[in-house]
Amino acid sequence: MSDWLGRAVSRAEQVSDWLSPQRQASLALLREAQWPTRKTEAWKYTPVHVLADAEFAAAANSELAAAEAIEGLNSIELVFTDGVLQSELSQLPEGLTIVPLADASSETRQWAAEAFSAAKPSKHLFGLVNDVLATAGVIIDVAEGVSIEPVIRIVHRIGKDCEAHNRVLVRIAKNASVTVVEDFSGEEKSFNTGYAEYTLAESASLEHYRFALQTGAALSVGGSHFNLADKAQLNSTLVGFGSELSRLDVDVNHTGEHAFAKLNAIYLLDGNELFDLHSTIEHMVPNGTTEENVRGIVADHSRAVFNGRIHIHRDAQKTLAELNNRNLLMSRDAEINTKPELEIYADDVRCAHGATIAEIDKGALYYLRSRGVSKAQAQIMLSFGFINELVDQMPNQVLAEWLRPQLRQRFANMEVK
Amino acid sequence: MTEQINQAINREYEAGFVSDIESETFEPGLDEDVIRRISTMKNEPEWMLEWRLKAFALWQKMEEPEWAHVHYPEINFQDISYYSAPKSMADKPKSLDEVDPELLATYDKLGIPLLEQQMLAGVAVDAVFDSVSVVTTFREKLAESGVIFCPISEAIQEYPELVKKYLGSVVPQRDNYYAALNCAVFTDGSFVYIPKGVRCPMELSTYFRINEMNTGQFERTLIIADEGSHVSYLEGCTAPQRDENQLHAAVVELVALDNAEIKYSTVQNWYPGDENGKGGIYNFVTKRAVCHTSAKVSWTQVETGSAVTWKYPSCILRGDNSIGEFYSVALTRGMQQADTGTKMIHMGKNTKSTIISKGISAGRSNNSYRGLVRMGPRADGARNFTQCDSLLIGGQCGAHTFPYVESKNPSAIVEHEATTSKVSDDQMFLCQQRGLDPEKAVSMIVNGFCKEVFKELPMEFAVEAGKLLEISLEGSVG
Repeated sequence: MSDWLGRAVSRAEQVSDWLSPQRQASLALLREAQWPTRKTEAWKYTPVHVLADAEFAAAANSELAAAEAIEGLNSIELVFTDGVLQSELSQLPEGLTIVPLADASSETRQWAAEAFSAAKPSKHLFGLVNDVLATAGVIIDVAEGVSIEPVIRIVHRIGKDCEAHNRVLVRIAKNASVTVVEDFSGEEKSFNTGYAEYTLAESASLEHYRFALQTGAALSVGGSHFNLADKAQLNSTLVGFGSELSRLDVDVNHTGEHAFAKLNAIYLLDGNELFDLHSTIEHMVPNGTTEENVRGIVADHSRAVFNGRIHIHRDAQKTLAELNNRNLLMSRDAEINTKPELEIYADDVRCAHGATIAEIDKGALYYLRSRGVSKAQAQIMLSFGFINELVDQMPNQVLAEWLRPQLRQRFANMEVK
Repeated sequence: MTEQINQAINREYEAGFVSDIESETFEPGLDEDVIRRISTMKNEPEWMLEWRLKAFALWQKMEEPEWAHVHYPEINFQDISYYSAPKSMADKPKSLDEVDPELLATYDKLGIPLLEQQMLAGVAVDAVFDSVSVVTTFREKLAESGVIFCPISEAIQEYPELVKKYLGSVVPQRDNYYAALNCAVFTDGSFVYIPKGVRCPMELSTYFRINEMNTGQFERTLIIADEGSHVSYLEGCTAPQRDENQLHAAVVELVALDNAEIKYSTVQNWYPGDENGKGGIYNFVTKRAVCHTSAKVSWTQVETGSAVTWKYPSCILRGDNSIGEFYSVALTRGMQQADTGTKMIHMGKNTKSTIISKGISAGRSNNSYRGLVRMGPRADGARNFTQCDSLLIGGQCGAHTFPYVESKNPSAIVEHEATTSKVSDDQMFLCQQRGLDPEKAVSMIVNGFCKEVFKELPMEFAVEAGKLLEISLEGSVG
């Protein structure tokens, strides 16, 4: 156990609220937990020593610039600064309930306590940390048959030298639909764990975005986890920029038949950044479908880690699952480690995965240069095109428009070698 | 339909008989004394003993690996006998006429005739029975072209310079748990040296047989292909049918010097245990090759036996322009577990590797592909292509893929793809509609699935491998 984890455990022992019974189980696991080393499979390529003896201030309510609204986006903004909810919650559309974790009514507490750690597996070390320390967060409930028009945007800002733990619990009832954006940014030295759990009832539909855009010295570990009931639909887009330590775990559990999950992920890394994405798709019942597309561009001295696991349980017949991971390696000093895994215990399934790593196609580069495009410009065009295919697939075009200039900026900054 | 296929899988293990041969076998147990005794039995020089003892010291500090997707009860290394040899081998027979007829009969029964005149033209055999090499055929003929093909125990005495230089150079003593154990207690195996520029005039092959109860087989093979040479090597193995598990922990080292080419083929048919998982061989093998400039190493394996397989034939592509290939068919049925694959470590420029892996799981077995492709920072222009296909027969088995892909060089290209499918009702219907019985149909579909790998095998082996799969699947349809 590291110094930091030791302190986290002793702080957790002081936490007392209505979730305490749920937190106890995680605390017990955490006390037994081993600090990840290179031999820990889930952390093989991602060192966490920067965190081992780091010290941060607890939620300090630091003075941070207000989060910018996204132009043209019809949204309900939930802004957390150092883990504390700053937004007023008023005039919510009918059928939508949003309450801060601490203010949950007894009725909400009942289902939320059950949903707590139901979608997120206990294997995630920092998920356990979040279990025991996240006193801040929000509970979102969408009533049966309701379609929520505005996008719920949860913005996380963490101040310099601060540590924050945030938990989001979302329940989407039968035939309901909603769009949720989890937005993380900032580059100051800080540490946060942000975990979100989504429970989709029968025929519920979720459009999900996670923008893990923290860079620089920000240390960030988090996850988005989904339980899909019969015929539930998930369309998720993840975008990662990478920082000194940036790790994202995504778990999709097909607990009901005929559920559909589409997962698109993009990572763009530069400088000394590290981004680690672990995704696990659990097909527990028959007739599920998963499409996962992950693309990355890795430049300068940065490192990308991708581990995509598809697990077809015994009897999960007629499952269709596909995973594709494509990477562009832009520099001699950058590094990509990818591991697409299949674990299959049912015979009547169609499963495939693929992974590629290469540089920008020389032929394409030559074609553009022969038409007078500078090398730098040509590289931006080609790498942007590589990523843009997935950006185009984002169902919300306002968000896509907001994202594109940020991506373009990032390509422009990437050092061309 | 699935039931039909399942029935086809239950068949007898044909090589499961025991030969009644008087043996000299060590008491079970492992300590320094045992290692000293092995070394004395083999008449080894002092340096060899020291090398073994160093490995033993390392092994004692190591832990058994647990990362593989296999489960088996803990092995008690003190319950194993580390040396067993037919008594008749005590005074080394000088020619085939002096070899115990029962021994020869054993190989005859297995279809490995050791009498040279009966041999398929062009294959030299080294037959290893428990801990000793019984006979090596065609040695004189090979010596004419300068090729050395002999038991490694002889090579240690007769070619100490070569052995000293290369033994442990590819798989060092501390490499892994089972390799370290092998370094300490290995008893026999084959040694091959192909001189500069020589194309080995015939196929070389080693046939391993475990006979004695409660013994482990720890063989060690070292093949050195000097600059510009070429050799094709085959390996086969069987063991009697017993209720107890037996351990087989081998190490194979291949050295392909500049422009050399080694083709290494294995048909592994150790006793797989019965359908309820009782008995069978634990096959924990370390196989690795080093390829120097423009050298080529090709591993081809057909794995149908063993209760538990843990095996990753690998290539270290050290020299520029070197090539590594891995073709594998792994069939598991009953309660068999296989965790097998390869590592391609690209270090030199323009190195190339191809991985074709076909896994077939039936019954209640689990079949995993585990591989690593690493592009080092100096591997400019390196290229890898990996294809792993799994075929599932029945709803109780598992097929898994764990590929690690690491790249540190932008000009290197890595491609990995994996698919999973089953013998579909449509395919079966088509075949049966044309008058094939279900068994033939499955066998045909499986053979088609494996064709890419079989075509890499030397002709005699390809026939054997095809037959082996056919027998393995016999009764799997019904």
